[in-house]
Amino acid sequence: MEYDPMSPIWLQVVQQIKGKIVTGEMPPGSKMPGGRDLAMQYEINPNTAARVYQYLELEELCETRRGLGTFVTENTGRIAELRNQMAEDALRRFLASLEGLGMTREDAVRMLTKEENNDA
Amino acid sequence: MLRLMKYELRKTLNVKLVLAAVTLIAEAAFLIGYFTRNETLYSLTALLLFMIASTGISVIGLWSLIVLHRDMNTRQGYMLFMTPNSCYRILGAKILECGLSILLAGAFFFLLGFLDVTLVMRLYNENIWQFLAEMLQTLNERLTITPANVLAVLFWLLSSWLCSVITAFLADILATSLLYGKKWNWLVAFALFILLNIGINWVILRVPATMSVVAQFAIQGVIGLAFSALMGYISATVMEKYLSV
Amino acid sequence: MLESRELTKKFGAKTAVDQVTMKLEAGHIYAMLGPNGSGKTTWMKMAAGLIIPTSGEVLFEDKPVSLESRAHVAYMSTEPYFYAWMTIRDAGKYYADFFEDFSMEKYSEMLKSMELEEELKIRTLSSGMVAKMKIALTLSRDAKVYMLDEPFNGIDLLARDEIRKAILTAAVPEKLLLLSSHLVEEMEAIADRAVFIRNGRLVEVRDLEEMRETDGVSMADRYREIFGHAEVNG
Repeated sequence: MEYDPMSPIWLQVVQQIKGKIVTGEMPPGSKMPGGRDLAMQYEINPNTAARVYQYLELEELCETRRGLGTFVTENTGRIAELRNQMAEDALRRFLASLEGLGMTREDAVRMLTKEENNDA
Repeated sequence: MLRLMKYELRKTLNVKLVLAAVTLIAEAAFLIGYFTRNETLYSLTALLLFMIASTGISVIGLWSLIVLHRDMNTRQGYMLFMTPNSCYRILGAKILECGLSILLAGAFFFLLGFLDVTLVMRLYNENIWQFLAEMLQTLNERLTITPANVLAVLFWLLSSWLCSVITAFLADILATSLLYGKKWNWLVAFALFILLNIGINWVILRVPATMSVVAQFAIQGVIGLAFSALMGYISATVMEKYLSV
Repeated sequence: MLESRELTKKFGAKTAVDQVTMKLEAGHIYAMLGPNGSGKTTWMKMAAGLIIPTSGEVLFEDKPVSLESRAHVAYMSTEPYFYAWMTIRDAGKYYADFFEDFSMEKYSEMLKSMELEEELKIRTLSSGMVAKMKIALTLSRDAKVYMLDEPFNGIDLLARDEIRKAILTAAVPEKLLLLSSHLVEEMEAIADRAVFIRNGRLVEVRDLEEMRETDGVSMADRYREIFGHAEVNG
């Protein structure tokens, strides 16, 4: 995997995993790779991998069961919340980049509607 | 220690095999000459064998020195100095391997020479012991063949060989340890070797020649061994403290 | 776990390592960075006990490096150092003879995954093959400290992945890994700390994720800041 070496790598891996949880690639309650396996899979330092899980646990997106390993949360409400959060982030980035091009929100809405009609 | 010696033997094996092959070819030619009664062939090959034997021992010593020099001056030295073996063990293994090789080669050449001379003597219906005794008497009238004399001389020979090898080791170790990475350090080593030899010979020649043969050679042999032990110890200590590879 | 105190090495008039004091801890992968000739190799060789310091000392588990420490510190030099007669298997046997922590099974396994034939003579190998074989040899030891000098040198892009994986496998919490390389980008994700050395002097030891968080710079960026743009390659 390619990383942007200018921003924390643990955060980039967290984003990746969040994406997998939201899309269902990692379904609720499924077993996640161990810390060392995660490090191997993403080719990152084991300490970075440990930090990824620390954060995901803090965010209540996964839980560690003693002796069994780490699992994706079964709280689908939390996952829905994460989906909304990520969608909002994406929207904010989208708006910010349009603003950067000198467009207003109205322009954005107009363009979105037009795109929708094109798709249909 | 045995493992270290095993690899020292492996590193010097090629030259020993060449030496053995050359000896075998010369011996084969000698035997052919002997059984076909070709006097020119067997006398020439006998001379050749004598030369191989006398230079062969030096070659073994010299090759051990070359291997030591490479181990200290090229990257192959990491192989030795990276392992958890002290310089005392590393050098000890080198000296033991070289000493044993010289001893075995010496015994081999001695037996071979004895055998070949016996064969030739039979051609002339002579007794080899008598022949040797006569030959020695023309060389040195004090030397007579008695078991004690033979043992003393052999002991002295061995000790002086060992002493020469260790002197060369010490000279090279001093030069390499104190002149890290200098290409010409072997020149300094050579000069040191000569100086050390002069010193050691000066001491050994203090042994009065008026003693009996046994006493004279035995004392000189013991002095040689003492020098060997001392120089071996100094060498390893210098390596341990100063050698960077 | 591995510490140097005012460590200095002079070769004649040239000072290769100059008063370096630093402490490296277990459980981390350190990237040791600096242009060629900045003293990385000399520092490692002193820690391996191959070079005697001019002054100062290297401590392994609080004791000066010695025969005892060599049994627990695995050093891989950049240059091949094997005897001319050795095959890949002979090198393994040699390590098995002298290092109690060496595992011949692990070595064979790694060679197989790297597609290296054990019967091949080392001197007939390409530089990339030797580089892989050296990694397998060194990481097949169960040492406490691994010092790998330029592990990515001579290794093509595809094989670098294998090397990175092998290094990560060896990185367990009770062990210390120190990698030097001028291929800084190769180590961005696998190292978590960087040691910057310039002209034999220690510039700084940094935690990489912390540096990215607070300064927003990568290891390569910091390298450029310290050593100047011209010296970065790879």
